[in-house]
Amino acid sequence: MTALRPHSLALRALRASPTIRPSYRNISLLPSTIPRKTPNTRAHSTSSVSADEVSHFSKLASSWWDPMGPSRILHLMNPLRHEFIASCLSDSPPSGPSTAANLNYLDIGCGGGIFAESLARTIPLDPSSQAPAPTPTRAASMTAIDPTTQLIQIARDHARMDPTVEAHMRSGRFKYLNTTLEDVLAGSVTDTSSTPSTHQQFDMVTLFEVIEHIDPTTTTPQAFLANCLRALKPGGWLIGSTISRTFPSWILNQVIAEAPWPIGVVPRGTHEWSKFVNPSELHSWAQEGLMRAADTNVSKAGPAALDGMRWKCVGAVYVPGLGWKLVPGSEDWGNYFWAVKKGL
Amino acid sequence: MRSISRAALRPYVCDSCRYGVGAGRRRFATTSNQTPEIYDVVCVGGGPAGLGLLAALRASPVTSKLKVALVETQDLRKARSWSLDSSQFSNRVSSLTPSTVEFLQRIGAWEYLDVERVQKYQDMQVWDGETGSRISFDWSMETSPFEEMRTVATMTENANLVRGLLSRIEASGDENLKLFSNTTVASIENGSDLQTEGPDLSAWPILSVAPTAQGEQSQPPTRIAARLLVGADGINSPVRSFADISTQGWDYNRHGIVATLALGEPEKPSFPANTRTAYQRFLPTLGGPIALLPLPNNHATLVWSTTPENAAYLKSLSTPAFLAMVNAAFRLSMTDLKYMMGMDRTSDQFSHEDELIWRLQHTPQPSQIPPSAIGVQEGTVASFPLRFRHASQYISPRVALVGDAAHVIHPLAGQGLNLGLADVAALSRTIEYAVSHGMDIGDLLTLERYSSERYLPNAKIGGACDLLHKMYTIPGQGPITWARSLGLDVIDRLPFVKSFLMKNAEGY
Repeated sequence: MTALRPHSLALRALRASPTIRPSYRNISLLPSTIPRKTPNTRAHSTSSVSADEVSHFSKLASSWWDPMGPSRILHLMNPLRHEFIASCLSDSPPSGPSTAANLNYLDIGCGGGIFAESLARTIPLDPSSQAPAPTPTRAASMTAIDPTTQLIQIARDHARMDPTVEAHMRSGRFKYLNTTLEDVLAGSVTDTSSTPSTHQQFDMVTLFEVIEHIDPTTTTPQAFLANCLRALKPGGWLIGSTISRTFPSWILNQVIAEAPWPIGVVPRGTHEWSKFVNPSELHSWAQEGLMRAADTNVSKAGPAALDGMRWKCVGAVYVPGLGWKLVPGSEDWGNYFWAVKKGL
Repeated sequence: MRSISRAALRPYVCDSCRYGVGAGRRRFATTSNQTPEIYDVVCVGGGPAGLGLLAALRASPVTSKLKVALVETQDLRKARSWSLDSSQFSNRVSSLTPSTVEFLQRIGAWEYLDVERVQKYQDMQVWDGETGSRISFDWSMETSPFEEMRTVATMTENANLVRGLLSRIEASGDENLKLFSNTTVASIENGSDLQTEGPDLSAWPILSVAPTAQGEQSQPPTRIAARLLVGADGINSPVRSFADISTQGWDYNRHGIVATLALGEPEKPSFPANTRTAYQRFLPTLGGPIALLPLPNNHATLVWSTTPENAAYLKSLSTPAFLAMVNAAFRLSMTDLKYMMGMDRTSDQFSHEDELIWRLQHTPQPSQIPPSAIGVQEGTVASFPLRFRHASQYISPRVALVGDAAHVIHPLAGQGLNLGLADVAALSRTIEYAVSHGMDIGDLLTLERYSSERYLPNAKIGGACDLLHKMYTIPGQGPITWARSLGLDVIDRLPFVKSFLMKNAEGY
């Protein structure tokens, strides 16, 4: 039903800036509203962030990369993201049967850079190499964006602590941008080397633990997904993870995971169960998003935009003591990975 | 175990204090801004564990591109060209469990060992010198008649293993590989933030390495940075001190006497043919067990754990007297042995040999005694102190400990080297996983995978050896003696318990 929304609504939603809170672990402590930008200035302001939240946030920021800190469970999930991306690429590579490291990634809502930095580490130092990629994720470049200035600073500072990642930052193959998806789409951050187009597009767009934190008062998840798909090249994958809104997930994520220590593993107030997204909803939003993304293209629109689309979804379960495991069929229990492939 | 303690501290200790708890005392910032050469893995120590790690990393296609370095004080070329006549054996011999051999085969190192010099054994006889209770680990009952006899363990000279591992590493090419032979670690410090010039290495260990006096190699770069610094540097590990990791443990006040022995022909041929047996007899009155482990060509290696006084006495004996004592230790009663251990070694009147012959006439012999030792290879009688150590944790940011740097155990089950190589196998698997998932191989989140895999198994086996040692050094016929003998007899009669123990001994 969402796929048939009026055109005007879609455009209105597009203009609204999504409120991204980059990690589900620390959400309660993050600024609740990311400043809304106007298309004319494209400047960020932190004025709407209250001092109270900033102090909360500063405390949190220092622990973002602490392996035993409050972000631990997110760190533990990170290897699974690589595995899920690898499985998507092995199912259907974006273009041809190449095994070279030639995919350009965009990480939306990178936060402190847990995923972005780990992917940047797999980029080969020799860019011209046609040799098989060192890892199945085949990354050639990574652009990571987040609207929160402090988080980008944390991410950059941490990336400098690894000479390999630092070298990629120097060469420009890896960059952190303190910007919004809309700025990327508006072309303001397109680097000069890329092909001239209205905006830069990527082979792979990742959206980990972001969609459930979209603020429904400023935008809709549908509009936000459509924007993500606009950033994606035809044939590319949009890959994300989120939590489903079901009774088991309420028990697991609200009652057990946020229980007081020593049972709980997530700080209280991290999640709002009502904002969780079910796989079926996401699937239909992705379809709508693909059509909306195609709307700006005169040649192709409507259901034709769904040609060649692929949908993939697999649940992830955290077992204390064992860690995260991909468990197909457990999507309704809570955390799950999902992926949409844009048709060629 | 950092992870548990820190997680447990979280609700009670404020953030700033918690950082103090975990960070360790590593604040030796260098003033030099000179960029060090950066390696992915720097391994300090070129013993079996350190070389095993390098060989494993070079063998896996995922980790073979990592830039690795090894720092060793001894001359590796000497170890590489080690050779000994086929009738001679080094006295430093280890018993490799089947899972260790499997690991060496997997990393392609086994084919570089001189297999003429290794000896498998299929049967193990263990008995209590005080009560005669025995347990026999005979793998034939675990083996179907149609397959080859299962191997309990494989005896290998450490020098043969080290040479094989070095050959394997050399055969993997020298790209991304640097062996700092004849080199000592002068200092380990934290690096510095290169600000706009380069990366922030303030949390990276930087090693200053210097050639030893006799080393005449090309001058190595003096400063090398390690993404992951591996301490395979033994019981007094400098890497462990740098990481500020404490160890717990004690000295057993026992020495292990080793020697290479030539054996006489066995009284009855082994059945099935060509099988060999390891023998271990607990001697509570003398402070520890004596073990005779088979080597090729009817040789054997001796490991006799006893008090420092007895060890000194045994080392001072003439060769015939020493052999008489070894043979006596497998045959005579505790009272006889105690008497012989105190005999005046300068007396011409009664020799140890005569004493043994005379006393054997009055001692009924069990069926499991080993063939007589008839010769000692010259210069192989040596002794070393027995100790127990266990590091409080194996990991610290950008540091991992393996082998003796992490744990030293009583040798009575011959597990020390096996645990070290199991550490190395686990660490190389961890590094492989990290590389393929974009993780930093020096990060705690990576290293805790290694630590959680190895800490408890090592503690379990080290503890079991300690318990065995303590149970079998209680002399006389007290309740503990009765209980341990009952335990041994019960185990020997319950096939499923025994089979479980044997599987454990195999290292699976």
